[in-house]
Amino acid sequence: MALMQIAEPGQSPVPHQEKRAVGIDLGTTNSLVATVRGGRADVLPDADGSVMLPSVVNYSDTSGALVGARALAMASEHPEDTLVSVKRFMGRGRADAQRDAQRSHYRLGDSESGMVSFVTSSGDVSPVQASAEILAVLRERARETLGGDIDGAVITVPAYFDEAQRQATKDAATLAGLRVLRLLNEPTAAAVAYGLDAGEEGVIAVYDLGGGTFDISILRLHRGVFEVLATGGDTALGGDDFDAAIVAWVVDELNLASLRPGQHRGLQAAARHAKERLSGAESAVLPVDKIVPGAGDLTLTREGFEALIQPLVKRTLRACRRCLRDAQVEEVDDVVMVGGSTRVPLVREVVADFFQREPLTDIDPDKVVAIGAAIQADILAGNRPEGDLLLLDVIPLSLGLETMGGLVEKIVPRNTTIPVARAQEFTTFKDGQTALALHIVQGERELAADSRSLARFELRGIPPMVAGAARIKVVFEVDADGLLHVSAREETTGAQSSVTVKPSFGLSDEQITDMLQSSFSHAQEDKQARQLAEQRLDAQQLLEGLDAALADDAAELLSQAECEALHQKMRELREAAAGDDVEQIRRLTESLGRASEAFAARRMDKSIKQALAGVSLEELDKEISE
Amino acid sequence: MPSRNFSQNYFELFDLPVQFAVDTAVLGRRYRQLQQELHPDRYAAAAAHEQRMAVQYSAFVNEAYATLRTPLKRALYLLELSGMTQQEVSRQQLDGGFLIEQMELREKLETLHDLVDPDTVLDHLVTEISGDIGTHQAEFAAAFEQSELQAAASACVKMQYLEKLLLEAEQIESELMER
Repeated sequence: MALMQIAEPGQSPVPHQEKRAVGIDLGTTNSLVATVRGGRADVLPDADGSVMLPSVVNYSDTSGALVGARALAMASEHPEDTLVSVKRFMGRGRADAQRDAQRSHYRLGDSESGMVSFVTSSGDVSPVQASAEILAVLRERARETLGGDIDGAVITVPAYFDEAQRQATKDAATLAGLRVLRLLNEPTAAAVAYGLDAGEEGVIAVYDLGGGTFDISILRLHRGVFEVLATGGDTALGGDDFDAAIVAWVVDELNLASLRPGQHRGLQAAARHAKERLSGAESAVLPVDKIVPGAGDLTLTREGFEALIQPLVKRTLRACRRCLRDAQVEEVDDVVMVGGSTRVPLVREVVADFFQREPLTDIDPDKVVAIGAAIQADILAGNRPEGDLLLLDVIPLSLGLETMGGLVEKIVPRNTTIPVARAQEFTTFKDGQTALALHIVQGERELAADSRSLARFELRGIPPMVAGAARIKVVFEVDADGLLHVSAREETTGAQSSVTVKPSFGLSDEQITDMLQSSFSHAQEDKQARQLAEQRLDAQQLLEGLDAALADDAAELLSQAECEALHQKMRELREAAAGDDVEQIRRLTESLGRASEAFAARRMDKSIKQALAGVSLEELDKEISE
Repeated sequence: MPSRNFSQNYFELFDLPVQFAVDTAVLGRRYRQLQQELHPDRYAAAAAHEQRMAVQYSAFVNEAYATLRTPLKRALYLLELSGMTQQEVSRQQLDGGFLIEQMELREKLETLHDLVDPDTVLDHLVTEISGDIGTHQAEFAAAFEQSELQAAASACVKMQYLEKLLLEAEQIESELMER
């Protein structure tokens, strides 16, 4: 006979264990990993003590990829094998990426899926695979520092990333053997890092100018709730463009007609160094002669540099203006600067001038995003007491349907807070029409052809009627992860159909499985054993949750009979979970979950009442103190 | 979801009087307080069915907040609560003066591309449209208070027209951004 476990009411029979959760800033230029230990969030250094891992992967050696500083050192010698700024190519179609690829001297492979891949000495490599190499190095670093496998990760993405770019990032994490707790928008992560540190209240703007992307977000902070009011930006604008502007100037000044790829990379590196020096110095020398013999060196003054980047910086302000309007706020209380490119003095000046506030730069702009991600990872892994912090995020781009004439009908506009469910009615336009093709698109453009196509599906079985008589209700649901589910239903007959959106430029599940099997041995674990472990975990979670809930609320919200019925089912599940019949555990978990739904709903109602009672007290306090 | 709260109207959910004027500070406070309790992230460690329920509750609260926070949506919702369908609202006749103003504003928007400094002119236009919207909001509030639903609906349609124009202005702005 199995020994019975006896636990105090409200206590879980299993001792609570801290989960190893990390935050990862997967940047265009550099990547970092951070975690919360002993209540403090900090970035993790590698064995040599450096925290920044250059987001560079080199494929010259066919036996394995090089990542980081060692890969970067190969850039001039093997430009085509050394992938830098791959984040720019994440989730993008081949045609879309062609221009950027030429600038970076990559050879693009031909792939039937229309996805981007680079031709290297080690074969075709996708941006997702290259990103996975970077993530795997960071995962290893965290595993060694924390002394065990990582339970989950929050990975940051630019707020302006679309569904395809987000999905590609998730794919890269899966490929690197990381469980993604959440994709978190970079500016939001920065706000978390700042907000918690300084106990901020009020409206803040986060201006995030990284190597390859620009993001602006406006948030309201109030008693631990971070409400994203609006977000915007440009996925193809960043410090790399400052470098490119300098290179273009050099090429123009010195009439450098044809450059070899290696020389181009050399010039880019020189431009970056000059840009960095100009943050402090009034002028910087570009050692062009060393890169292109006989060309001579050039001196760039800060004034000259500022003239070169002025149009780029101005472009960011337009996005800021729109974001302020979307957020429906007149002014902000603080401006937070994120990203290495905000070290450029002109950027700081222009931003301070626009928002009429001296920007905050206390936290290292390179580390702030990873630190915020680590804090959110700690929360989502369940390591923190409740009531600590809550993020209310928004969708960055509008979601809609293609309607007659190729126009887009927006169902969920950008900057809508998630989770969200929105319904809209449509009808047929032809007599006797029995099917309806639904095309889901993303973006702000009016024409479907100009928008990002996310998915297509069909609703069939509409009874033949005259045009305009059918009533088809289409529901868009976006969960807290930002994942979209669309369903359509003909109201008179109940015919229905639905799709969970997988963007067309992401990887298919089979592709991921194939890649996992070929590159990571741990993916070949016994499937059966893993299923059992997962099913037991589900059961255990449900039981623990119910134990706690019953201890709190059973007396108040349940009748004796209801309470006994739940306990009976819980006993059955406990017994089953001790055995190894996966199917039985699954069935009993489902059944207990359903049986406890009414109880859960009553608890939620109680929470709502309590929440509002809390507000009234808070308001009362305010009145008294006034 | 068989729950009391889903049949509550949005004003009741936030414990606010059913009227056009809303204290947005109170609304915001109560909204954040509800999300503190109901958001799925609060149930990150809970069982799957509880998470699903949290998603539904949280989405409902978000929808209610978005409706009450935005004046136009709030106005339409009040008309809906008073038994007026969307079709009835959109069937309102508008006076000729208003329509002519609309055409003039739209014309200004359309010729924006040819200007040397479209940004400043665009900002100016947006301010003008926003001001007009404010006027019609006041009209709506007064009419609704007097239970003059037809007049309220007419003010609402004007708000709709102008909001649409504002959207078009934004569209033009993003085109300018991409230039």
